[in-house]
Amino acid sequence: MILRGYLYHLQLGLRLNFASKQALVYGFAVPLFFVVAFGAVFRSGTPPLLHQMSQLVTISILGGACFGMPTAMVAERERGLWRRFRLLPRATVPIVASTLTARFVLIAAAAVLQLVLARLVYGTPFPQYPALFAAGYAFAAFAFLGLGLLVAALANDVPAVQALGQCVFLPLIMIGGVGVPLAALPSWARAVAGFLPGRYSVEAIQAGYTGDDGQHGLILNLAALLAIGAAAGLAGARLFRWDPGHRPSQNARVWILVALLPWVAVGAAALAGGQWRAPAAPADAAAELSAAQIDSIDYRGLPPDESTVTPVAPPPGVDDSAQPARLAALAKGLETWRPGHVPDRTQAIRNLLCVATVADLNEDPLEGSIARTVFMHLFGHFKEQELTQSLAWIILHPDEGWVLTNIPELGIPGDMDQKIVRDRSILYAKKVLGRIRGRLPD
Amino acid sequence: MAEVALSIRELAKRYGSVEAVRGISLDVAVGEIFGLIGPNGAGKSTTLECVLGLCTPDSGSILVRGMDVRERASDVKAIVGAQLQASGLPDAMTPRQALGLCASFYRRAASPDELIGRFRLGDKADARYASLSGGQRQRLALAMAFVNEPEVVVLDEPTAGLDPHARRDLHELIAAQRSAGRTIVFSTHFLEEARSLCDRVALIDRGVLIALDAPEAMIARSASPPRIEVRTRPGLGETDIAGLPAVAGFSFDGSAWRIGTTAVNRTVTALAALVESRGAELQDLQIHRPTLDDVFHELTAAGARRAP
Repeated sequence: MILRGYLYHLQLGLRLNFASKQALVYGFAVPLFFVVAFGAVFRSGTPPLLHQMSQLVTISILGGACFGMPTAMVAERERGLWRRFRLLPRATVPIVASTLTARFVLIAAAAVLQLVLARLVYGTPFPQYPALFAAGYAFAAFAFLGLGLLVAALANDVPAVQALGQCVFLPLIMIGGVGVPLAALPSWARAVAGFLPGRYSVEAIQAGYTGDDGQHGLILNLAALLAIGAAAGLAGARLFRWDPGHRPSQNARVWILVALLPWVAVGAAALAGGQWRAPAAPADAAAELSAAQIDSIDYRGLPPDESTVTPVAPPPGVDDSAQPARLAALAKGLETWRPGHVPDRTQAIRNLLCVATVADLNEDPLEGSIARTVFMHLFGHFKEQELTQSLAWIILHPDEGWVLTNIPELGIPGDMDQKIVRDRSILYAKKVLGRIRGRLPD
Repeated sequence: MAEVALSIRELAKRYGSVEAVRGISLDVAVGEIFGLIGPNGAGKSTTLECVLGLCTPDSGSILVRGMDVRERASDVKAIVGAQLQASGLPDAMTPRQALGLCASFYRRAASPDELIGRFRLGDKADARYASLSGGQRQRLALAMAFVNEPEVVVLDEPTAGLDPHARRDLHELIAAQRSAGRTIVFSTHFLEEARSLCDRVALIDRGVLIALDAPEAMIARSASPPRIEVRTRPGLGETDIAGLPAVAGFSFDGSAWRIGTTAVNRTVTALAALVESRGAELQDLQIHRPTLDDVFHELTAAGARRAP
């Protein structure tokens, strides 16, 4: 009887969902709209949206699990339907399980439609590793359905579902790595994101696209989602209410703490492991910058080239009296200097900028000429468009990546503060980019 | 008493400072149609919810066919059917789907098609719940209560909010279940409904059982005398009325006399003779015997006087 009831309620739940215009709008139209919206912003990626699909799928899971499902459950409870269900023998497990299963299937259908739409409109490839993608989806859905069950148990009415759902939804979207990419977040927000399930969901699902285990490793991502979902689901089950007249039990706060415990544990583990830092940006992240974003960079207030801060020697031919052999050696050394040839092009350029920066901070007698040498290397070894994109990315994401503070292999020793190096290398980045864009004289 | 279908002993339930049910005990026999009557907030619904396992009593015991409703909840649910107040369905769900869903949870269940026919839902079997009238929704709720071919059926104010036609329609459906030998326990505000349908009724007031008997027996115990209402032209005088035999009080509302009597035959015979002797025209003559309504008001008013 339990299986028969489960299956009947499951198929009926699915059929009724497709008979509801509201459910179709929120369950399918909105996720597809997000694809179009993200596509409008990130379509310049190669391939477009590849690194945003996990965010899009996570948004669908979040919306369906933390809004759609509890809204439907609470609306049915308010109507007295769940009270009626309670009169059925051995109905609790099959009814709740089929409700969760139906939502799991509906969200999966919405996710598949997102993949298809992104493929058709933007040419986004399907996941390269379907099994990993499915695993990431399943664990993320488990986590958020658990949270949805807890929201349904705590909310007294439908407006309360919206309020509670927003408490989960907005932080995850804004600073949880779901809506705004982690790489674009300030460091404090990235630290907070370590405590939220969104980033683990995004990384777990993204593994299906790129095969990349993510910053935390696939196992940790899945374990975090499993723990968060299990604790929330347990709390939701314990606080489950059939009757609209019943209020949350007195130990609701205890169960809310139980549900949040894995969030704290996972976040603490991420902090302890230093994993809250920004993940390395994807190799082509800079390529996704729009022309408008690049044009928005402000060059006002830069120190003059002849200043003691970020000096740049005049171009060769204008005043080449100070071109000792050391500069020639430096130019030759840059040709083979490994940090200047790492696979991540943007990081390689950042490393090269550090050469000029450390020399400047170290008050090297040839600081201006060293900067000029670095500039010439950049112009000579990178395509103008790629150089433009990477410099713009470095300027717009100043906290990302790493900086070098001591470069003895090029004869530029130092022991500088990372923050100072980072800030000053941004000034050099602007000076290079300004020249490329014709915004600064040379 | 014949075999007991439902046994309630010293049932008590409190909601905060409100004592909803205070020590109710009663037995309902197999095959009986049993009514719970009482004013709003009397404790009828709470009593039924305790029977159905929807709320947990603070004390007391409830046995359905000898099974404790808390210890053997699933077994009890398998043989009990119920219709609840304010129990709606999703707008898009059809009666056929609702009945199929309920049936899927029982080992033994009537087919949805048979129930649709039995409860006259044929023309709405595949209509959205949102499109059903109040009477059709109540018939569907009733059909859902019978989906497991229950031994005991609990109905919580099944005719509330229905128009007289729909109410009569539902009375027929409930009465028809008697022939199947089922035990039916229902609460109602409509005393005439209880009188016409029930073998016995229990009157509950302020959480206490204050009377339990067959409706006619309860009426016979009423302290209210039969009343005669008479209108003549020209009218009769007060001394004429006071002189009639077996009069137990009278009043005049401006057009008719209302006369209480301890012997209807004697009073009416003498009244007819009086009218004839005066050469008056008898315009209206009605005899009102006590009703369940009178008993209800007498007993609940007495309860109100006793209450602190």
